[in-house]
Amino acid sequence: MFTCTGCALLCDDIEAIVENNRIKETRNTCRRGSARMKGAMFRLVPSIDQKPADFESSIKKAAEILRNSTSPMLFGLDNSTCEAQVKGIQLAKKINAIMDDTSSFCQGLLIEKILQKKLRTCSLDDIRNKADVLVYWGSDAQDSQPRHLSRFSYFPRGESRQRGYEEDRLAIAIDVRESNTAKICKGHFYRIPLKGDREFILALMEALSGKAPAYDTKNMLGLASILKKAEFGAIFVGIGLTYSIKNDFEILTELADMLPKFNIMPMVGHYNMRGFNEALFKETGFVNRVKFEGKAVHENKYAIIEALKNKSIDALVVVGSDPVLSLPRSVIAHLPSIPVVCIDPCQTFTSKIAAVNIPCAASGVESAGSAVRMDGKVIGLKKIIENNYLTDEDILKRLMEAV
Amino acid sequence: MGIDIGKFLKNPEFEILITTYRDIFQVEALERDRFGEDYKKLSAVITMSKNDMQKMGFKSGDRVKLSNNYGSVVVEVKESKKNEPGGLAFMINSPWSNILISGETDGKGIPEFKHITAKISLSKEEITPVTEITFHK
Amino acid sequence: MVTVMEIYQLLPKTNCKKCGESTCMAFAVSLLGRKKKVVECTPLLEENFKAQKEKLESLLLPSAGAEETGMIVHTELCTGCGNCVVACPVDVANDPHGAGMGCAPTNDKVIFKVVDGKVLASNIKECRRFGKSKVLCYACIDPCPTGAIEFV
Repeated sequence: MFTCTGCALLCDDIEAIVENNRIKETRNTCRRGSARMKGAMFRLVPSIDQKPADFESSIKKAAEILRNSTSPMLFGLDNSTCEAQVKGIQLAKKINAIMDDTSSFCQGLLIEKILQKKLRTCSLDDIRNKADVLVYWGSDAQDSQPRHLSRFSYFPRGESRQRGYEEDRLAIAIDVRESNTAKICKGHFYRIPLKGDREFILALMEALSGKAPAYDTKNMLGLASILKKAEFGAIFVGIGLTYSIKNDFEILTELADMLPKFNIMPMVGHYNMRGFNEALFKETGFVNRVKFEGKAVHENKYAIIEALKNKSIDALVVVGSDPVLSLPRSVIAHLPSIPVVCIDPCQTFTSKIAAVNIPCAASGVESAGSAVRMDGKVIGLKKIIENNYLTDEDILKRLMEAV
Repeated sequence: MGIDIGKFLKNPEFEILITTYRDIFQVEALERDRFGEDYKKLSAVITMSKNDMQKMGFKSGDRVKLSNNYGSVVVEVKESKKNEPGGLAFMINSPWSNILISGETDGKGIPEFKHITAKISLSKEEITPVTEITFHK
Repeated sequence: MVTVMEIYQLLPKTNCKKCGESTCMAFAVSLLGRKKKVVECTPLLEENFKAQKEKLESLLLPSAGAEETGMIVHTELCTGCGNCVVACPVDVANDPHGAGMGCAPTNDKVIFKVVDGKVLASNIKECRRFGKSKVLCYACIDPCPTGAIEFV
């Protein structure tokens, strides 16, 4: 059995059939996981200034870039093992770099609240065994964490949920669109206007406290009564909700206080984003946006978005991430003017503009290690294919020796 | 009643509100080959409700130009298969939607990835090639 | 029921003979009669034929044993989420500690399995829509948001 790195569910019941040292067939992975495990069509090759180079020269050049930089940033590591993340933090400390990851513009705020124990949470296994009311909020698990409903939440039989989902569980979707997850929640889909989450929460809080809210009174009272009757509930918070309430996160804490039977689960995309957040939190007390300068300083200006907008970094090391693909075009304008070092198994939009490219093994397929599932459980990754690619952990170690 | 200026123009322009989402088939294409045709075909699309399409005079498969203060992009328009009430259009999160995202964050580091306002109009231009978005040759 | 022409239209129609048949039409007839497999047409394995190959596979799937229950799996719509694997009452009964608990099936008695990110049906005679005491079960259709499973 292998572990899939397609998303932060880290499904560890995967079979893979290997032929000619490539994965020919996967079993039990979803469509996303299958594509992930089979790997991208175009491998990254070592290069300097977009010209092919040997591996050693690429490491040397990357180290030179970092030596010449007065304000470097290390970004990514959400698609890396915990072991590589620790190495990354060590490198950032050694060179006094700014460190940030995708969680900075994704679920970072939510995971921080969970690690600070400001929000009640539980494990996915608890949900499978006990949960009777499931709320998918701004989250389309069916498309982003495709086996969430079948492995853990709605469909499986669990210890105290033996009778099947129709009788034992109730799934609710709150979203701005009728997602695939919302379709499954059929009679319990609450469509809200874009950015309407705050108003919805306020009305729900009124309904929970026994008052009739002005907003969608009938539905809201119905929802409040379902939530109140729950024995063990879970709210799966997707980025739809996180983005919508970002400036007012306390409101979620307040709602959670009114729902003592409910647990909050951050719906994480990248397979080890939570691992990165936990590792940095353990080291610095913050989940992202940190600058090492003897001590660790946390400020919003160290978010990749702000650092690029303010042109405050003069070199960028990207590990297992593709900011050119995922960031707003208006923000990445600064990127082509600074040297970028890209460490990744495959070619990315970022690798196409990078000053130095260093290929690494695809973790969970070509190298082993560990990762943190969205609920905080540590899951082992195994090696499936044997080849000569170094891990990103090894490459970061080499970089550290060379700077 | 104001005069509907749009009626008198050859190519009327409309204001729309767009949100972004994720799609497993598009992510599959990304994992396989983010430079490929499949990824582009699944990404460079805007989906709208039947009502909105009729109101704006679009047919599924038409190309439309979306533009705002941050950039402009040509994508294909498709009618939603779901029963959407209208007033909100949808794009899968991708470099094509990222062209239209504001960099304004109030200093807080999180762009409005799921809240886009833009002007939309029919276009004869080709779908914006990814190389135009991502700097590389 | 799928016809020879439907199959033929999805083939490359180059008569390249790589499958061992003299023409694509002959290959289509063999496909319909289950004497050949889709993958034996090697040009079809190329990237630009991907959609056609998936369509062909889904067209040919029901006769692989499912025709008596009328089950069709539209592979091209399937996300491989496994909701049907877990929700199917036969799977739960035959594999309570694997499929029934949301995990990978632990034996071959289940009806649904996910291979390469798409669901594959087998043991179709176990399906509750089959046999003497058949019932009109919707357990695999209801949890599928993309309509990938259909009974005809």
